[in-house]
Amino acid sequence: METLVQSTLAAPEGDISFFSLFWQAHIVVKIVMVGLLAASVWCWAIIVDKVLLMGRTRRQMSRFETVFWSGQSLEELYGTLHNRVNHSMAALFVAAMREWKRSHEGAKPAIGSLQQRIDRVMDVTIQREAERLESRLLILATVGSAAPFIGLFGTVWGIMTAFQAIAASESTNLAVVAPGIAEALFATALGLLAAIPAVIAYNKFASDVGKAVARMEGFADEFSAILSRQIDERG
Amino acid sequence: MRAGLIASLAGHSVILVWGLIALPDAESFSVPQVESLPVDLIPVEEFTQLRLGERTAEIRDVAALQPSETEAEEPPQPADKPGESNVQQPTPPTPSPAPTPAPEPEPVPVAEPEPATEPEPAPAPEPVPAETAEPAPAPEPEPQQEAAPEPQPIVTSATPKSKPKPPQRAPEPPKDDFDSTQIAALLNKVEPAEQEGNASQQDAALGSRQGAQNVRMSQSELDALRGQVAQCWNPPVGAVGAEDLKVRVRFNLSQNGEVAGSPEVLNSNGNPAFGAASSSAVRAVMRCQPYSLPIAKYEAWQEVIINFDPREMLGG
Repeated sequence: METLVQSTLAAPEGDISFFSLFWQAHIVVKIVMVGLLAASVWCWAIIVDKVLLMGRTRRQMSRFETVFWSGQSLEELYGTLHNRVNHSMAALFVAAMREWKRSHEGAKPAIGSLQQRIDRVMDVTIQREAERLESRLLILATVGSAAPFIGLFGTVWGIMTAFQAIAASESTNLAVVAPGIAEALFATALGLLAAIPAVIAYNKFASDVGKAVARMEGFADEFSAILSRQIDERG
Repeated sequence: MRAGLIASLAGHSVILVWGLIALPDAESFSVPQVESLPVDLIPVEEFTQLRLGERTAEIRDVAALQPSETEAEEPPQPADKPGESNVQQPTPPTPSPAPTPAPEPEPVPVAEPEPATEPEPAPAPEPVPAETAEPAPAPEPEPQQEAAPEPQPIVTSATPKSKPKPPQRAPEPPKDDFDSTQIAALLNKVEPAEQEGNASQQDAALGSRQGAQNVRMSQSELDALRGQVAQCWNPPVGAVGAEDLKVRVRFNLSQNGEVAGSPEVLNSNGNPAFGAASSSAVRAVMRCQPYSLPIAKYEAWQEVIINFDPREMLGG
């Protein structure tokens, strides 16, 4: 603390460039700043990742829907899809078809509760897909809500520094107060910088995930209806 | 995920580098060291009393004050409007300049003839000319002390004045602008008010909103009024926390000492007994009228605020 006060006093000419602000800051404030910067980097990584994932998912679903409703036979479709890694609707379709196939494989087909099993399998798949889409969104939410407070903490610390500078120099001269205040506000700025995109992105992705899940559920219901008709016709 | 992380890192570093390059170092601000100004805290009473009072006494005070004020005076400034200040500053120039400037009225024709001819009419609106003559000698030495600290230089400074120093003459009047003689001039315009010699401490509890600075109740008068009210007051003795039931009442008095209008309770309190306390205070005020107070100071007691504090009023 002493050294900090000394340093602020030694350079009464307030140097308010990016790096001097950082280097002049107290170690606690430095940690806060670095942490916030890391949070920002991580948030943006998630945001970029999610944007790509959401776009991909949407495209895949559209493509699958066109193929599915094109009149192609389900068996053929299953044949092309079942040994790939599938996501979203394709995964739903493959899971349901696999259950269907397995039920018909044995000498004695288990058709009695096949409908329920298919529904359950599709539910599980939807859950898994939703989880995949939602993964790491919680980090965005956390950063969005916590980063301003972390920045505020750095600010409080910087203000304390400013007051100590005042006490040490017994003067409220602007040059004495300014470095501490500037450093303090810089911490808040970083906190907001990390938080604002995180909050916006979280809200957007949460609604995107909701839409995608709703779409998958709609498909699951439709497909379940088709299969149910098939079962009844065969049964 | 890796793509996102790489993109994010790249984006952040780009922004940082851009910030370093595009945003130049902020201009370092150097705050000039401000000299601390000594400030005297003067109670406002002193100031108002300075302005009021009798004419004769005032002038003597001013003359006494003058040296102390002129010692700290600022360096002479070029005269912007010598003629203006001249009206009010006949006094300093008169005595000494009179001998010297007489020879040459040229440099400042307006300024000098006046003092030279006759000191009395020059002060025109202002203070008792006879007495201004007295203070005059006192201020006189100072202006010249600026030029040269010794009294002897009076002669030397007088000689240059004769010819080349119209500028030097000029600086003097503006400096006197701030001189207290001018204040004296202003002050003396005020009619002599009744002076209150014994500076009584203003009581916080009793006072008037009218701000009658020139008339102030003496402490004994205030005490008399308070005592009179206290006699009529039945404080709420039995109430819980009766000591804390301070009631602040404001009321107006007419000239014959009777309460005009109805007293007004100014404060409030959470205590349930406060209602009783406040009404008892109001009752006390109403019961004690008329109050006998010096009619000459009616301005001061036209509106009165009394704190009914059980602890004080009961002598506890």
